[in-house]
Amino acid sequence: MLKYLVIQLDDTSVSFCHYPTADTAPRMISASDLRKGILFAMKENLNIQFVYPQRSLPDEYLSIIDSIDHTKIKPSTADDTSDADIVVIDGMEHAADVAWGSEQIYILRTGRARMQDIIPLIEHIKHIIKRLNIVITDIDTFTQHDFTTYAEVLHKTGEIVEKEYLAGNAVQINLLTDRMMLTSMNNCNAGHETLTLAPDGQFHICPAFYLESPDESCGDPENGVSIRNAQLYRLDHAPICRRCDSYQCRRCVWLNRHTTLEVNTPSHEQCVAAHIEREASRLTLEGIRRIGEFMPDVTIPEIDYNDPFEKHNNW
Amino acid sequence: MDYSIKETPESWQEGMAKNITFIVTKDCQLACKYCYLVGKNTKERMPWEVARQAIDYILDHEQDFPEESVIWDFIGGEPFLEIDLIDRICDYLKTEMFRRNHHWFDSYRFSFSTNGINYHEEKVQRFIAKNREHLSIGITIDGTERKHDMNRIWKVDGAERGSYADVVRNIPLWLSQFPDAGTKVTISSLDLPYIKESVLHLYALGIKEVNINVVFEDVWQSGDDRLFEDQLMSLADAIIDNDLYRHYACSFFSEDIGKPMDSKTDNGNWCGAGRMLAIDAAGDFYPCTRFAQYSLREKKAIKIGNIHDGINQNRLRPFLTLDRCTQSPQECIDCEMASGCAWCQGENYDAAETSTVYQRATAICKMHKARVRANNYYWNKLFRKLEQMGEERPQSKLTTVKC
Repeated sequence: MLKYLVIQLDDTSVSFCHYPTADTAPRMISASDLRKGILFAMKENLNIQFVYPQRSLPDEYLSIIDSIDHTKIKPSTADDTSDADIVVIDGMEHAADVAWGSEQIYILRTGRARMQDIIPLIEHIKHIIKRLNIVITDIDTFTQHDFTTYAEVLHKTGEIVEKEYLAGNAVQINLLTDRMMLTSMNNCNAGHETLTLAPDGQFHICPAFYLESPDESCGDPENGVSIRNAQLYRLDHAPICRRCDSYQCRRCVWLNRHTTLEVNTPSHEQCVAAHIEREASRLTLEGIRRIGEFMPDVTIPEIDYNDPFEKHNNW
Repeated sequence: MDYSIKETPESWQEGMAKNITFIVTKDCQLACKYCYLVGKNTKERMPWEVARQAIDYILDHEQDFPEESVIWDFIGGEPFLEIDLIDRICDYLKTEMFRRNHHWFDSYRFSFSTNGINYHEEKVQRFIAKNREHLSIGITIDGTERKHDMNRIWKVDGAERGSYADVVRNIPLWLSQFPDAGTKVTISSLDLPYIKESVLHLYALGIKEVNINVVFEDVWQSGDDRLFEDQLMSLADAIIDNDLYRHYACSFFSEDIGKPMDSKTDNGNWCGAGRMLAIDAAGDFYPCTRFAQYSLREKKAIKIGNIHDGINQNRLRPFLTLDRCTQSPQECIDCEMASGCAWCQGENYDAAETSTVYQRATAICKMHKARVRANNYYWNKLFRKLEQMGEERPQSKLTTVKC
């Protein structure tokens, strides 16, 4: 069931996920389509998330946006991020310029080349922020060496987080703390719970699907949603994921399609990355529990594999 | 008196052999009307160098192919058009498997599905003599001349010409070399009235095993299911009344079909796509030949690698984790006659609304149900006859009979 509507205000709106921010010429959604999208969301009881480009929007657009309760997702490089609910740092190189605060959620997009920089960054902001979501953008190209590095980075980050929790600061780092608090899958769910209204006035599975295949729309606000083979975006139609307990995994259907040609099937790399995060979460949780009860309903059993696919012959 | 029922023999090393297919040519002498190969052509012939590199890749990666045995399959088009290449491939395979002490050495088959037209030719016969102990060859003949020539026609301009006479002349030679060989018959809408006469004709030619199936494509007309059922019941009468069941088998009749299937314990995939490997003339790898471009009407080919870069394991994951229920609509999951209802993963993909192998095509639904009704009739009639003749009915057969 749909719960969220992402409205991509411009083709160059900042990416908050695995896909790259478009470096094409700007193209804004029309004011008319923006109004239609808002009306659709109101009638369908959807939460709206507006995704902003770096450049400022005309006053007319700001006024339309303010007509509905919503979440603002803005790039850290925008002129004004003070009113953003979520600030996206689109590359580690922008992290030094961010005015970190406790009122906003941050999303950091970074690649494997700068994974090591995550550790000093978290040391720096752990007392300032409440939540940081980290998106490793090139996970699909990871080699064994990258996975080893990733595990080391998360292990060290886990040690920082563990100390903070023991000191009473429950800072949230998605890759580590989400799994510590989840008892079931909590994925992106694009195409199932979330849909995107793109600047072309059409619905798309997510901004990545729109930017990659703009002709593959799935309805519009006037005619409704029409997703072909919609069941394939649901967890129960994902043979690997429905058996998995790496609940924090983004389960990115766009990356799935990119790597395996099927939206319901993750790549080996996505599974291994999620299991490295799961293992780091397990160890962190274990450390926190050494001195007291924490999230007693959550269990993260120790397992002997990094990719559930390895077990598919036993299913 | 022998009341035994001939059963369809299991394939060689059933379930334990890797199937590797060389698409040696996309050319064929025939232009069969029901052929799913929409992209046949005379240009895409496999060069020797591509075949050699494919073999080297496969044998170099022995750990990635742990199956006990291997079936080296050769298809086209018509594979025997490339008998020189095939002979060279097979010689190289034998030499290399031996030289490398590969675990497939002495546990392999060369398999062919041919239209039979070139079967008698000297080069083909020389190849057969050389590889006899490791060969499996099926000749496709559709039944009576009338039925065969309706579909299996020569690829020529001008007047339509059937190929029956060119094939049937080679059947005695083929059966003398492979007495237990079976033939494969394909049924489309226009063929339905000729099923009975065709199967009986093939039996009369000495072919003891007739593997027959309806096409998976959406070709079926209103009333076809009734016609199909009538034909199968009439065929059942002929097989039982003439005691043909003792020595001849027809795959339409099986004790195991037509029952509900458990969504947990009986959730496997029917099709072996992804567990097989197909290689085309360009050296590209496919999960099965049906995913090569010449087999697809609507969709782009699904390549899973090539002879230079190897197999992309991520591309195989959807195939290897595909199960029956995830790809089936609820109607199929709940179906009381589900068992034995087949699908082709390639046709599923080609007919799907989106680019996925996870949407089952259901064009054969009413034909399967008609088959099940006729099948139930067949076994009920046969077991009653056996009982009346004093033959004890095997326990395993009891479940087929509805009380």
